[in-house]
This record gives sequence, C-alpha cells and structure tokens, in this order.
Amino acid sequence: MSSRTDPGTYIKRPNRALQIYAVIFLIVLYVPVLFIPLFSINDAIHVKFPIEGVTLRWYGELWARDAVWTALFNSVKVGLVVAVISTILGTVAARAITRYRLPGKSALVTFIMMPLVIPGIIFGVALLVLMSRMGVPLSLYTVGLGHLIVCLPFAVATLLPRFEGFDPSMEEASADLGENGWWTFWRVTFPMVFPGVVASLLLTFTNSFDEFIMAFFLTGTDPTLPMYIWGQLRFPQEFPSVLALSSLILFISFILVFIAQRVGRMGLDD
Amino acid sequence: MDVVDQLGAVREGKLSRRAFTKALLAAGVATATVPLGARQARATGDQATYFTWGGYDIPDIFQPYQAKNGELPNFSVFGASEEALTKMRGGFVVDVAHPCNSGMPRWVQTGLFHPIDTGRVEGFGDIIPSLVDLPGNAADGGNVWMVPFDWGQTSVTYRTDLFELEGEESWDMLWDKRYANKLGSLGSGGDAWWCGAIKAGVNFDDLDTDDAFTKISAVMREQRPLIRTYTDDTTTLQQALASGEMVAAMTWNDSATLLKAEGVPVKFAAPKEGALTWVCGLMMHKDAPNPDRAYDIISSLVSVESGKFLIDDYGYGHSNAKSFDEIPDERLAELGLSRNPDDILSAGHFQRPMSQDWETRMNETFEQIKAGF
Amino acid sequence: MADTSLSQAEARSEAPRPKTSWFSAVLYKSEALRGYLLMSPTMLILTIGIIIPFFILVAMSLWTRDGFGFDTTLTLSNYARTQSEPIFNALLQRSFWISGVATVATILVCYPMAYYVAFHVHRNKMMWIILMTLPFWTSYLLRVFAWKVILGYEGVINSGFMAIGWIEAPLEFLLYSQTAVIITLAHAWAAFAILPMYVSLEKIDKSLLEAATDLGDGPVARFFRITLPLSMPGVIAASFLIFIPTTGDYITPALLGGPDGAMIGNFIQLQFGPVNNWPMGATLSIVLMLWIAAIALVFLFLTRKAQEKIA
Repeated sequence: MSSRTDPGTYIKRPNRALQIYAVIFLIVLYVPVLFIPLFSINDAIHVKFPIEGVTLRWYGELWARDAVWTALFNSVKVGLVVAVISTILGTVAARAITRYRLPGKSALVTFIMMPLVIPGIIFGVALLVLMSRMGVPLSLYTVGLGHLIVCLPFAVATLLPRFEGFDPSMEEASADLGENGWWTFWRVTFPMVFPGVVASLLLTFTNSFDEFIMAFFLTGTDPTLPMYIWGQLRFPQEFPSVLALSSLILFISFILVFIAQRVGRMGLDD
Repeated sequence: MDVVDQLGAVREGKLSRRAFTKALLAAGVATATVPLGARQARATGDQATYFTWGGYDIPDIFQPYQAKNGELPNFSVFGASEEALTKMRGGFVVDVAHPCNSGMPRWVQTGLFHPIDTGRVEGFGDIIPSLVDLPGNAADGGNVWMVPFDWGQTSVTYRTDLFELEGEESWDMLWDKRYANKLGSLGSGGDAWWCGAIKAGVNFDDLDTDDAFTKISAVMREQRPLIRTYTDDTTTLQQALASGEMVAAMTWNDSATLLKAEGVPVKFAAPKEGALTWVCGLMMHKDAPNPDRAYDIISSLVSVESGKFLIDDYGYGHSNAKSFDEIPDERLAELGLSRNPDDILSAGHFQRPMSQDWETRMNETFEQIKAGF
Repeated sequence: MADTSLSQAEARSEAPRPKTSWFSAVLYKSEALRGYLLMSPTMLILTIGIIIPFFILVAMSLWTRDGFGFDTTLTLSNYARTQSEPIFNALLQRSFWISGVATVATILVCYPMAYYVAFHVHRNKMMWIILMTLPFWTSYLLRVFAWKVILGYEGVINSGFMAIGWIEAPLEFLLYSQTAVIITLAHAWAAFAILPMYVSLEKIDKSLLEAATDLGDGPVARFFRITLPLSMPGVIAASFLIFIPTTGDYITPALLGGPDGAMIGNFIQLQFGPVNNWPMGATLSIVLMLWIAAIALVFLFLTRKAQEKIA
C-alpha cells in the first residue's frame, strides 16, 4: 500500500508553482459558490452585479415563505427514507456478494452499478414511462423510488469494500461459539462495517437531497427542494429567499465540518 | 471493476472520518427542520393551488382571497401553456389553472376540467361580455369553462435609445440584422410561432396548411441567428433590455410597463402589421381538492382590486369592466389600453383555438428550428 | 469456508426442530439460493427500477404517437427517423463534444490539484479533501445559476474587466454559448474528478519513486514513467464519472446554452413536454445509451492498449 507511515520522505521540497496553483484553484472553486450567500444579502430581487446594498430581509422573508420549507421538508423526508432503505439494501447486497458464491455475480454487480454509468435522464424517462403505463400517480413516492435506484449503487460501492476487507474468520469464530446468523451479524459484522454504514447513509442522503433529474420527471404535486429551486430560477420573484436558504445550508455544513474536524482530531484515527 | 474499486476506496478511505462529520451535518439538517414540523401541519393541503404563468404568483392580486382565508393560495408556476397541459395530463392536480383562449377548447377536450358555476364567482356580472363569449366557452346550464381574467398583447419591447427605427414600428424589428445577437424572444411556440405568422403575412385562417408551415418556418429560421436567447422567463428579457444586452425582444405588455416604471427608456411597439392579442382566464380542475377556495381564487382575480393592479402595474387589460373606472383615461392611453377590449383585440391579430395535432406539429417544428435545424 | 461453519451453526440450531420443510432443506444445501434470497429485496428494487422500466422503454421506442395515446404496432420508424433527420445526430455529436471538452478540461485542471494534495500536503489531508468537496454541498442548480451571474452581460467578469479597462464592451460569447456550458460543467463536476484521481495518486507506492530517483531519473521522467501511468485508473474513473452524466445534462444547456448550446438531453426532455412524443423520447434515450456504451468501450480498449504499451 502507499507509504502512509512515511509521508515526508519522498517530496521534501515544496513546489511553489504547485502551491500557488492550489490556492488559485480553491479560489476559483469557491467563488461561484460564495456568490450564493453574497446575493442572499443583496438588496434587490434581480441577481445582478454589482450589489445594491446589504440587507437581511430575505432571511426574514424566508421564514414566511411556506413553500420553501415545505419543499425542504419534502427533500429531507425523501432523503432520509432513501438513505435508510438504500443502506439496508446495500448492506444486505454487499454481504451476499462477498460471502456467498453466487452464480452470475459479476452480472449482478454490473446491474446494480448501472445507474452510475448511465445518464440520469434515461432513468428518469424510463421510470416515468413505467409509472405512467402502470397508472401510478406521480408523488414523493415515485421520486423516492427514482432516488433509490440512483443511490443504491453508491451504497453498495461504499459497503462492498468494507465487507471485502473484513476478515470472515471473525464471523466464523462467532458461529463456532454458537451464535446464529442474525446474532452474528449484529454483534460481529455490523460494528465492523459501521463506518461504511454511516458513510453510506450520508452519501445516499446527500445524493437524494440534491438530486434533480429524477425529481424533475417523477415529481407530482409536492416538490422537492431542487424542483422548487428550479421553479424559482425561472421566475425570480421569490428567488432571493431560495438563495438565503441555500446559504444557510452551506453555512451549517461549514460549521459542522469545522467542529467535526476539531472533535475528530481529539481521538478518531486518521 | 476498477471504477468500483476507485469509488469504493474513495468513499471508504475518505469518509471514515468524514463519516462522523457528515453524520453531524445530516443531524444538523434534520434538527433544523424539526421545529418546522409544527408549521407544516398547518400546511399547503388547506389552501387552493393556483397553476399560473410566471409573474402571477404575487399577493397583490390575492388581497380578497387573503382577507377571506387568512393566507395566500399555493402557487405552481409554468412558462408555457403546453407545458402546463402536459403536466396536468400527466396527473398533476391543481385547483385553478390559467390557460389562454387559444388553448381553451383543447383543455376542455382533455376532460380534466369542470365547468365553472358563474353564480359562485363574485363580480361575474361585471365581466365584459365579449370576453366571456369566446368560442368554445359555453358549457351546459349557463356555465362557462373559462372565466376570463386578463387580456393583452404580445409585441416588441425595444430600447428607444439603442434601437434605431427605420420607418414605422414593425415586426421587422425583430428580424433586423443590424442587431444580431442583441434580440430576444419568448421561447414558447404559443407566442413565437404566431408572431412569425404575422411577420410572414400568413392569415390566421390558413395556419393549418402546409404552406403556412413552410412560410413560417422559413421566417423563424431567418430569425434564429439573430436571437441571443429564447427564454420562458420574462425577467431574463427584462433584465437584458435594462442592461442593454438586448435592444429589442418579443414580450407581453407587463415587461414594457415594468421596465418603464424602473426608468428604462423602452417602448411597447404597435407594429404596423398588428400585434398578437389574446385573452386568458381561469379554469377549474375537475378533481380540484379545494373547490370552495378555488372559487375564492377566481373571485379574487376578477375583483376590482386585482384589476386595478393588473392594469396599472402590469399593463394588462382586466376582464372586470369596473376595474377600468379606477384608472384615469390618460394612464389607459399611456398603457395602450382601452375600456373596450375589442378596440385592442381586434386591432391586432387575435389568437384562435387550433387542434391538438396542429399544436403538437407546431411545437415540434419550432423546437427543431430553435435547435438549429 | 465461512459458510460451512455457518451452515453447521444453522444445523445445530435447527436440529431440535423435527420437521424441516423441503424449502429450508433446499436452502440449507444451496449457498447460491441463500445468497440470492438475501439479495432478494435489492433484486426486487432492481427489477422494478431498472429492468422493467428498460423493457418498457425499449417497447415504447418501437411504438408511435397517436394523438394523446400510442399506436402500439411495433415499428422501427423512430429509429429510422434518428438516422434520416440530421438534427438528432447533430445534437448527439454536439453533446459528446461539449461533454468531452468539459471532461478533458476538468481532468487537466484538477490533476495538478489532486497531485498537490496527494504528494505535497503532509498534514490535514482530510481537511484539504473536505475543502475541495464542500462547495458541492450546495444545490447544483444554484451553482449553475451562479455561473450565469459570473458570465453574464453585467456579470462579474464583464464588469470587472471593464472596470480595469481591459475591454470596452461586454464580452458576449461568455453567456448563452457552448463555452458557457463547458465552463459550468467543468466547475460543477470538479469534485468527481479530484477524488478518484487523488485516491489513485495516493495509492502510489512512494518507494517506487524513490527507486527511480536513485536510478537517476529526473522529476519529469519520474512523473511520466511512474506517477502518470500508475494514476491512470484514477484518471479513467474520473473521465467516466464526468463524461457520462454530462452528456445527458439538460439543466446547464437550458440555463446557459442559448440556442446553439442545446444538448441531446434538452431534446429528450422536450419529447416528454411540449413536443409530446414519448416514443421518440424513449428512442433517443436508448440511442444515447448505446452511443455512450460504444464510446466507453472504445475508450477502455484504447487505454488498455496504452497501458500495455507502457507496462
């Protein structure tokens, strides 16, 4: 594996050019994103440069705009459900794939990973066609299904290495000691793959939360947050409130990551 | 699979610590939304939903509704009538929708709508009769399918300081090669194609002929290289005109009125060939979840208060005759409106209902032209 | 091996029950069946979500539109149309071009960054990685819109350059053009480029590089001989992760592309909207998929050949 124990042995001289490049890169990466908070305090509806004065009124208005919170709530609901289900299914699938000799295993894995290698629009279209032929009305459930398809590969991809890298003799030992399959899973397997489970939950939640394409095709009357934002992008009356909400989400992420870094340094291994 | 390994390694290696991080984040988002749980309960299920064009989802035309129900209705917005119809045919259920007269018979044909009991619409008696008596609007028992609400024109809004007029105002302005890449247009065929027909000199009676399609396609293809962008969003066009990015664009009345109010030197052209004119109104979905509040929406929209706003601030005509009493004559003249809709509507080219096959063929052709073919 | 122990365990726990049904007996014996049973919920979702929709999609591509319904007589007329009407191939080509350029641009720009974090950052690597991916916590739509603000007529770049005096009139090609789409796509998908490349670079055994140094290779030779080839899996993964989703993107072209920047995704989406030709939409989706598969295979083939040559 890589010589992580010896990070400094190879490259001792800092490469100035590369350092400058890295800094410029980060700046260019962040600037467009930072425009969102910037225009959320802009004192005008139109997003135009330069800024016309600073105000916090859009944040105030945000509280009053029910539609925004409804959309956010919908996204969180769908995201949580999709995260949990896809992680459970991913865990089960990862275990089955790594522990059992399944005929057609590689075909199976390929199938699961398909959404990663096919543009989302095709899945959106395919599911829309299916739902309409089956007469299923579009709703948050159909959106959830769409998200599930798209998030499952991420769950499996996250958990598979965990199961693969995990010594099966632990499970054997537990079995030898008289535990049945279920118990073994909970007491032995699960704690070992727990970081993978958490990672999968978060990854799938994030995916579902920001997912637009499937939602676009499969949304009924209740919009998810990206769908709502799309509507506002085209007709910017309420747009600044949306910017305010996004800024809040970005801000909270920043803070949490910062805290986690601090806490992380106090005990978790790198 | 190498890709999978990569992804797996990425997620696993990177996230073993990020796991903790993101757990907090997810928890954070969840907790942030929990206190809102209470607010959601009082939610969106209760108020009626108004499915309408961008720009109409504002409180100013819902004062009476708010007075009666305490809150604004829910809004859902579309950019083109066809988009709205497709969505509803796909199962999207609303209470009140906002089509225009040219689409109304087709909307009725879908069977998704319910005739409106005029007796339950407050102020219906004051509505200008010629707007009610549109082809296809009469339903059984004296009811109507569509309650007229607003009427107006599609024409050219142009910068008087940047656009050098050669002769009279005309649709040729949007085909002026001097201003290539500085012209804009609404992207929906529902407006653009008809304006193309006017420019090509095709009579609306003959729209459904192959000859018409050939002529109008030619004209639209000629225009395409000159257009900076086609958009469904009137605000984009307004901003472009305000900044000078565009010098002329095909818009509705409200864009010109709003820009003038902001102090931008624009004029809503009265083209010599005639503007495109239309009447739009409100239809009720047959499965409307809140029929009583749906009537409240309709009543609110045709009320005099809303009418005054619509005329004075947006520059559209209103269907309630009494709204015009609130506006001084000079202002009406300034806006290019009249108490009698017929003056304006028949002076221009009034859009008329076409068959669904025609609409689909038109949209398909226009989308191809927009894409460059 | 694990399974024989487990089955012994199961046998032990099952032993007290005198009547084992035929089904559990089969289950007990067949590992494959047990495995698939475990997978069954996942497979159910897969069937509902992937297999059945795809069959229906293929079926629908063989139908034709009939008013608001469908004429279900099987026909290849839609496919014939994709060949006979130039618009479809042109849009496909344009989409692949735009995605391709965006992919190459992203990889070229992000590779040095990944290299930097892998080799030159010694403490807080995690923080750098988080820093690089945090922007992607915001909504994709809003990031696209942010670019609209930057590239706009009165946007940041134009106002900035005019203020400095570099240009007299705003640059018009920045927005509503293919350039705008490419720039935005490159920025939006940067994280998907950095992470796989970073992982690949990180995995490179530093002792190989030391050995090369000892044997007299300069830094440039080292890079081309060792670092670059060993990081290729990451680069390939990154290429796929960017190219494939972006070919089907329709948000960015819709907001920033202008008339010349429309991509195949827009056209597919239109078939389900105003154009109201679902069968054609299905056909285009399948054609797109087939083309992507073909391009991917060619790409993998070429890179394998290249890798064989290097190794």
